[in-house]
Amino acid sequence: MNDIQLPAIDYAALLPMLIVFGAACVGILVEAFAPRGWRFVIQVSLTIGGLVAGLVAIIVNRDLEITTIGGAVTVDGPGLFLQGAIIILGIVSLGLIAERRLERGGPFVAEAAHAANSDGDKRQEREPGATEVFPLTLFAIAGMMLFCVSGDLLTMFVALEVFSLPLYLLCGLARRRRLISQEAALKYFLLGAFASAFFLYGVALLYGYAGTVSLTGIREGVLQSEQSGILLAAGLALLAIGLLFKAAAVPFHVWTPDVYQGAPTPVTALMAACTKAAAFGGLLRVFNVAFETTAWDWQPVLATVAILTMVVGSILAVAQTDIKRLLAYSSVANAGYLLVGVVSLNGAVGSSLFYLIAYGFSVLGAFAMVTLVRDSEGEATHLSRWAGLGKGSPLFSALFTFLMLGFAGIPLTSGFTSKFALFSSAWDSDQSVLVIVGVLSSVVLAFPYLKVVVLLWLNPPGEETPTVSVPSMLTRAVIFAGVAVTFVLGVAPSFLLDIVADAGPFLAK
Amino acid sequence: MSLLAQGALLAADNTVPTGEAVTFWILAPIALGGAIGMVLARNAVHSALLLVCTMLSLGVFYVLQAGPFIGMVQIIVYTGAIMMLFLFVIMLVGRHTRDSLIEVLRGQRLAAVILGVGFAMLLGTGLARGVGSVTAKGLDEANANGNVEGIAKLLFTKYIFAFEVTSALLITAAIGAMLLAHIEKKPGEKLDQKVLSRNRFTKGNYPGPKSGPGVFATSDSVATPAILPDGTFTERSVSKVVPARELTLTEARPKATNGNKQDGEIR
Amino acid sequence: MSLSQWVPLVVLFTLATLFALFSVTIAPYIGPRRYNKAKLEAYECGIEPTPTPPGGSRFPVKFYLTAMLFIIFDIEIVFLYPWAVAFDSLGMFGFVEMLLFIVTVFVAYTYVWRRGGLDWD
Repeated sequence: MNDIQLPAIDYAALLPMLIVFGAACVGILVEAFAPRGWRFVIQVSLTIGGLVAGLVAIIVNRDLEITTIGGAVTVDGPGLFLQGAIIILGIVSLGLIAERRLERGGPFVAEAAHAANSDGDKRQEREPGATEVFPLTLFAIAGMMLFCVSGDLLTMFVALEVFSLPLYLLCGLARRRRLISQEAALKYFLLGAFASAFFLYGVALLYGYAGTVSLTGIREGVLQSEQSGILLAAGLALLAIGLLFKAAAVPFHVWTPDVYQGAPTPVTALMAACTKAAAFGGLLRVFNVAFETTAWDWQPVLATVAILTMVVGSILAVAQTDIKRLLAYSSVANAGYLLVGVVSLNGAVGSSLFYLIAYGFSVLGAFAMVTLVRDSEGEATHLSRWAGLGKGSPLFSALFTFLMLGFAGIPLTSGFTSKFALFSSAWDSDQSVLVIVGVLSSVVLAFPYLKVVVLLWLNPPGEETPTVSVPSMLTRAVIFAGVAVTFVLGVAPSFLLDIVADAGPFLAK
Repeated sequence: MSLLAQGALLAADNTVPTGEAVTFWILAPIALGGAIGMVLARNAVHSALLLVCTMLSLGVFYVLQAGPFIGMVQIIVYTGAIMMLFLFVIMLVGRHTRDSLIEVLRGQRLAAVILGVGFAMLLGTGLARGVGSVTAKGLDEANANGNVEGIAKLLFTKYIFAFEVTSALLITAAIGAMLLAHIEKKPGEKLDQKVLSRNRFTKGNYPGPKSGPGVFATSDSVATPAILPDGTFTERSVSKVVPARELTLTEARPKATNGNKQDGEIR
Repeated sequence: MSLSQWVPLVVLFTLATLFALFSVTIAPYIGPRRYNKAKLEAYECGIEPTPTPPGGSRFPVKFYLTAMLFIIFDIEIVFLYPWAVAFDSLGMFGFVEMLLFIVTVFVAYTYVWRRGGLDWD
C-alpha cells in the first residue's frame, strides 16, 4: 500500500516564509533561554535580521512564477510584491514596536497577567515590556505572507488564523489604559473568530460546489460543475464576509475604531499597514483567480459594499474627536477605495498594489507621530488636546500636516498619485460609478484631515496642551520613512508603478 | 481492511445496517435530551456536563457514518479538551455568576434574534434548494483505503505546508496562554519543594490538615473561621482567596446551639 | 475477520490487569516506611492544597493555563493519529514531516517550561 507520494516542493519559493517562521521560532527559544536583560537586544536584532533575510529571499525570487506543493502555494508576481510590501511595512512598524525612549520600558506591558490597576500592576509600571511581542509580530507577518500566496482556501484559512491570533494577543498588551486595550483584544478576537467561522462555512459550500478548495479548481469548476449555482453564490458570499472583515469593509467594520483606539499604537500601525495589505492581497487573489469567470454575479454586490464603505467611512470620520478613531475610519474609507480596485479585477491589480504601499507608509508615519503627543497619562489622543501644537512644535506639526494632506489626496503626495492611479484604472475597467463615488467621498474625507490641520495651526493652545516627546532613532526613522515615501511616491511614482506593472496578473493556472 | 471500512462499504448501498439503526435509536434520544437539558439546566456545570453527553453521542454517530477520524477528534478534542476548558472557565468565572440581563443597546436583542433567524432561514432554504436533490458522491473514493488513511494522504502531501504552519498556531496559543494567565516568579521568589516542606514544619506552623471554615462554626458565612476543639477561632480556616470582611458583632457571635444556651457569650 | 486477530489485544489487557494487581499487592511489602507528620495530611502528596473557597466560588486562573496547555498538546495528538495509521505508506518523508512538526511544537513547550508555566506554585 506504499502509494502516497510527496508532491514536488519548490523550497526556493517557500524560502521567504520559512525564514520568517524560523526566526519566530528562534525568537521563542530566545524567550525561553536568554537571560532577561539580554532579551530585548537579541529579539530586536533577530526580528530585523529575519525580516531582512526574508526580503532578500523575495528579491532573489522576483521573477519566480510557480505553483508548488500540489497547488497549495502559488508564488507569482503580485504575490511576491505583496510579500515584499508586508515585510517592508513590517520592518518599518518594528521601529515603533521596539521604541523604548518615549515611555520607560516601551509601549507594551511587562506582565499582562497582572490584573489592571492591581498591586502587581502598579509594581510593574516601570519594568521593561514583554519581549514576546517580537516573535508574535514575526508569526503575524509570516502568516500574512502565506495568506497572499495561498493557492487553496484551506491553506488560506490556516494562514488567516496564523496572522490573526498574534494580532488578537498584541492588541491586549498595552502598557497604559490596559482595560480599554483588553476590551479591544476581546472584541477583535470574538468578532474575528466569528468571521473565521463564516470563512470556513463558505469554504465548505464552495467545496460542495466545485469538489475542490483550490482557487484554480474553483475557477474551472465554475465552468463545469453540475451543482446548483446557489452553493456557489452562498459559498462566495460567506467567504467574502470572512475576507471583508479583515479588510474592514462596511458593514463588517464595526470592530475597527474600537480596536484601533484600544490597541497599543505600534500594533494599530502594524494592523493598518500590514493587515490591510494582506487582507487585500487575499481578496484580490480570490476574486481574480477563483471567481473572475463569475464576475457578473458578484461585481454589483461588491460594488455596493465598496460604495457603502467609502461613504460610511468618510462620513463617520468627520464626526470623530479622537485621532486614533479618526485614522480608523479613514482606514475604513481607504478600504472602500481598495475595494474599487478589487471590483475592477485584473485591470486594477497593479494600481491596488501601489495604493497599498503608498497608504501603508503614510499611515505608519501618522501613527508614529500619534505616539509622540503625550502627557503624564501616556498618549493624548483626543483631538481637543492637539489644539495649538503648531506653536510649540512647528516641525512636528509641519510633518503631520504633510501626512494629513497626503491622506486628503493633495497633489505632490502619494495620496494623490495612488488615488489617481487606482481611479483611472478603475475608470478604464468601466467602473465609472464607483470612481465618481470614490472621488466625491475623498472630498468629504479631506474635511476631517483639514480639520486636524486647522486645529494644529490656527486654534489657540488649550490649558493643558500635551508635549511632543523626543523619540529615539527608531521612531524618527519610521516618521522619516513615512513622510519620505509619501513625498517620493507623490513626486516620482513611476519607478514603483513600473514594478507593479511588471508584477503582472495573478497566476491562474 | 478494517471493520470501519467494511462499515463504509455497507453504508454505500442505501440499506441501513441493523447495528447502526439500533445504535442510532439508542443514542439519538440521549443526544437530543442532553442538548435540551443543556439549555434548560439552571446550573452552569450541569449544562456543561449535559453538553459532554451530547458531544459523546455525536462522536459515536460520526464513527457510525464511516468517519472514524472526525469521531475520534470529536471525542478527544471537543469532549476531552474543549469541554474541560469550558468547565474550568465556568469555575474561573464562578459558577454562581449570572448573565446581566440589562440591554446596553436598546432593541439589540430583538434585532439579533430577527436577523439571526432570517439568516438561518436564508441559508437553510438556499441549501435545501441547492443540495436537496443531490446524491452524495465521492465518499467511496475518499474512503477507498480507509477514512483515516485518506485524511493522512491529503494532510501529509498536498496540505503539508498548512499542517506544518499549524504548529505556529499552537505556539502562538501557548505564548498567549502564558502571557495572559501566568505571572512569572522573580528570581529568588520561587521556593522549591524542599524549602516549602521545611517551612511547613518550622515551629509555630501546624502541618496537619486545616479545618474547613464552618467546622463547628455557628454561621453560614465562608468568612466565619472554624472553632478549634479548645474553643478558639482559627483564622487559618478562612481561605486566603476570600476577601477579608468585617463581620458585624451579631454575625460573628456564635449562635445558640443545644449545649450552649447562653446567647452571645463566646466560650 | 477471524478471532485470532484479537489475541494481541486480549494479551495486552491481561498484562495490564496483572501489572496493576501486582503493583498494588506488592507495594506494602517492599515499599519503604518512614513516617513523619506530613503523612497526617488528607492528601499525602507533599504539595499544599490550592486554596479554593469552599461552596463553589471562583478558581485561581492558573487552572486556565493548565487547560490551555492541555488543549495545545491534545491537538498535536490529533495530527499524530492519521500519521500513525498511515505510517507504513507514508515513508520517510512522513516521518520527517512529523518530526519537524513535533520539534516546532516542542519550542512552545520549552518556552512554557523555562518560564515556569508547568510549576504549580
